Amino acid sequence: MTREATAGGSAGWNPFAPLRTRLDARMAQWIRRRQGSDRLPVRLERRRLYILPTRAGLAFGALLLLMLLAGLNYANSLALFLTFLLTGFALVVMQQCHRNLLGTEVVAVIAPAVFARSTGALQLTLGNTDDIERLRLEAALPRGPLVLADLAPHTRQQLELQVPAPRRGRVRIERLRLSTAHPFGLFRVWTWVHTDAAMLVYPHPHGVLPMPADSARNAGVRRHAGAGGDEWAGLRPFRDGDSPRQVDWKAYAREAPLLVKEYVQGASELRMFDFAQLRSLDEEARLSQLARWVVDAEAHGERYGLTLPGMQLGPDRGPEHRHRCLAALALFGLEERE
Amino acid sequence: MAAVATAESAGQTLRPLFWTCAVFAGGVLLNADRVPPWALAVALLLIAWRVLTAYRGGGQPGVAARALLAVTLVVIVLVRFHTLNGLAAGTTLLLLMAGLKLLETRAARDQFVMVGAALFLLLAACLDRQELVRAPLYGLQAWLCCGALAVIAAPATAARAALGLAGRALLYAVPLALLLFVFFPRLPGAFWAIPRGDLALTGLSDTLTPGSIGQLATSYDPAFRVRFSGPAPPPQERYWRGPVLHEFDGQTWRRAPAELRPHLPREYLGTAYRYRVQLEASHQRWWFTLDTPTEAPEARVFLTYDDLLVGAEPLRDPVSFDEVSYTHTRITRPLDASARRQDTALPGSANPRTRALAASLRERAGSDGALVEAALDYLRTGGFVYSLEPERLGADAIDDLLFRTRVGFCGHYASAFVVLMRAAGVPARVVTGYLGGEWIPYDGGYFLVRQAEAHAWAEVWLEARGWTRVDPTAVVAPERLRRGILDLMPQELPARARLLHASPWLNELMQRWDAANAWWTNHVLKFDYEAQLAVLERLGIRSPDARALGWAFMLALCLWLAVIAWHVGRSLRPAHADPLARAYARLCRKLARIVPRAPHEGPLAFGAAVIARCPAARTSLLPLLERYAELRYGPPLPDTRAADVEAFRRAVRRWSLPQLPP
Repeated sequence: MTREATAGGSAGWNPFAPLRTRLDARMAQWIRRRQGSDRLPVRLERRRLYILPTRAGLAFGALLLLMLLAGLNYANSLALFLTFLLTGFALVVMQQCHRNLLGTEVVAVIAPAVFARSTGALQLTLGNTDDIERLRLEAALPRGPLVLADLAPHTRQQLELQVPAPRRGRVRIERLRLSTAHPFGLFRVWTWVHTDAAMLVYPHPHGVLPMPADSARNAGVRRHAGAGGDEWAGLRPFRDGDSPRQVDWKAYAREAPLLVKEYVQGASELRMFDFAQLRSLDEEARLSQLARWVVDAEAHGERYGLTLPGMQLGPDRGPEHRHRCLAALALFGLEERE
Repeated sequence: MAAVATAESAGQTLRPLFWTCAVFAGGVLLNADRVPPWALAVALLLIAWRVLTAYRGGGQPGVAARALLAVTLVVIVLVRFHTLNGLAAGTTLLLLMAGLKLLETRAARDQFVMVGAALFLLLAACLDRQELVRAPLYGLQAWLCCGALAVIAAPATAARAALGLAGRALLYAVPLALLLFVFFPRLPGAFWAIPRGDLALTGLSDTLTPGSIGQLATSYDPAFRVRFSGPAPPPQERYWRGPVLHEFDGQTWRRAPAELRPHLPREYLGTAYRYRVQLEASHQRWWFTLDTPTEAPEARVFLTYDDLLVGAEPLRDPVSFDEVSYTHTRITRPLDASARRQDTALPGSANPRTRALAASLRERAGSDGALVEAALDYLRTGGFVYSLEPERLGADAIDDLLFRTRVGFCGHYASAFVVLMRAAGVPARVVTGYLGGEWIPYDGGYFLVRQAEAHAWAEVWLEARGWTRVDPTAVVAPERLRRGILDLMPQELPARARLLHASPWLNELMQRWDAANAWWTNHVLKFDYEAQLAVLERLGIRSPDARALGWAFMLALCLWLAVIAWHVGRSLRPAHADPLARAYARLCRKLARIVPRAPHEGPLAFGAAVIARCPAARTSLLPLLERYAELRYGPPLPDTRAADVEAFRRAVRRWSLPQLPP
């Protein structure tokens, strides 16, 4: 199952909207067939750039037509020359606009994972390997807002495109649009970049159930001695938000700087989160609850493991493990059908 | 610090608005002499208001106020012009409505519309006035408008950058504009006639009062230019015929009421002068010719019975025509009774002393010819003075001139002479026009006739000769025939003209400037359907059919587009002045297919990067890159360096990528 990345609300009711959507979809298919998939980095070549006048450009064209009629009607050489000069200007602008995008490099598209009900940031890196400035490049996801970039000669720049992540799962970034109307805004040249990037959306970490207590018994692992006590880890300088109870007041009394006694919640602490045990909740709520626990456990430095139907992760800790667990939750029940 | 930052960011958002206001103001000012002053004032006021409120932050008038203002202004325009159709009314309306639109201009779209209005105002100015002096102003305005488009599209653009962008694009556009200008099919006539309103008339009018020609005498403006294809007439024959006046009411001479009389058949005597006249837009209907033209040059011009060319329409644009004239003619047929009655009529019993003089001259003279001579003798010997500023004449103007003041300009003498002739029973008429012309030795050489050379003379009907030119001014001030009015009365000239006459260098400059103007009018403004056909014919396209022209044009367009594309794209890789750098850049381009050179990589590091991707290139590439490093960074070898660089360049040209593994 794939979900198109969609963003932005519908701006008013438009009678042609359904037609437009279908047309867009057909165009997208055609363009994809025509261009094939892209392997990044990709340099934007001529055959994949499309260019059309903007609304302003169309208005400018209409103005030129009127000026031409007036000039012809009065057989007025100056008016005609002015018209022709501006016609030439518009054509040059078309070339310059095309030139502004042609040869731009799409270096990378990276989609870091996010939690559901938040907004992800797709990281798009554009490169300019030429001696010209590329100004006001616009990057956008289909129906997403534009993000502007100015690229100096021989530079790269990373842009962040907002990707809404309403539900857990994988958001495929099938294509993104690079365009520019610079300079003069009379024409807009654009291209579609087809990526195989996908943004993983973890379940929304939410749940009120208490974390399962020491699960050593269940997991058959012996718990480390020293109940109720955390392990002494050392002293570190005081930071805002530290609890006064953890401050080493004795040291402070000896005119040492304000220090905080740090404890690691024991390497011995071990929690097992089991999907099967949360019978009181429905599936999505269970996944949310499990995600909550995984996040909290990782934040407290605890060792934890995750048990899903047909899958056992951990026990372990660290960012990699956290990602593995959350990814498993994100894709739970979704990927098999593909 | 914070204050500066906010001012700056505010400046950025206001920049497009200021550009919009500036180009709109430019468009308004270009039409300043066409629109009524009140409209001009309103438009400028609106612009000033918009700029001020943008600066200070202040309310704009609400929708109701703007609507009310709009309706009021439309009504005023309607009342003043009685129409909205027509260039003057249309321009005024556009100016006012766009000024109102300025008040609600916030978004880029509104600003774009305003630039469109400015371009329309520029178009109106082009339609209205086409003098060479104004051409640079029009160019400047077009440039500013394009710059404004750049700023509106990207508000952060600095003025310099915007003008640079627009200027470059316009320069690229010039060849295409010229191409289109020459080849774009013109229409033989207008398909939609919009009344264009009439400007102030210039030059001779269809009436003559004693002082009216004197007013022109200080005008340095050109009236027309004449190029002779054969010999030019001698100075005393350079009478350029304008309105011929028949009716006299005691003060003012007028054209006869429209009356169709036959153009009398005649014999043409002496030299036939062939020439081409280039008339300025006078907003009058007179087509000036050398003395007696032989035929109407165009269908829309009539040759009247009094040998005047009269156009069907006032001259709103400069016009050129070919004509053949003679300065001597003979009509052997008698004058018919009604024409004789018209040209011997005098009002009531005015000017009794003149009548008495006429009667006494009549008695003494045997023939009409002798009478003319006697009258001229009277003027020659009567102590008459030629002056631009004669005294005011009383009710019996001719009596006053001939017997009291004895000071007059050409109009006075022509008028007095014709009255004298008519009183003696000889048919006579006043001819107004120009006498003389300055020889301009540039642009092929031509005579420039200025308004200041306006003149009036008389024609009398002599039996067996027909209408005969008599110039009474020539006997009062004989030097007027040989020298221009400007030479004759330096004290009467405006300061500008006097300055020009004092300095030959300035005078030459003025002559060149006039030649440039003549060229502009002939080759640019008058480049019409016929001129286009002539150019095509010269290019070998005898019977231009639309399809061949279309193909030729498309071909030229594609060629231009290719050149522009190449030129615009060339900014990708600026040419290196140094041949070594150029050769190295070429090598890098070849290698870019394997891996592009990063800006920080030197030749050897780059070579290593290439070879890592494509080991097959090692044997041929490494020596080349090492050679480059040596030439670039090694010790200077002044004797052989040029040859070495050339050898390196050749080696780079020969070098090609080894076959890449599939």
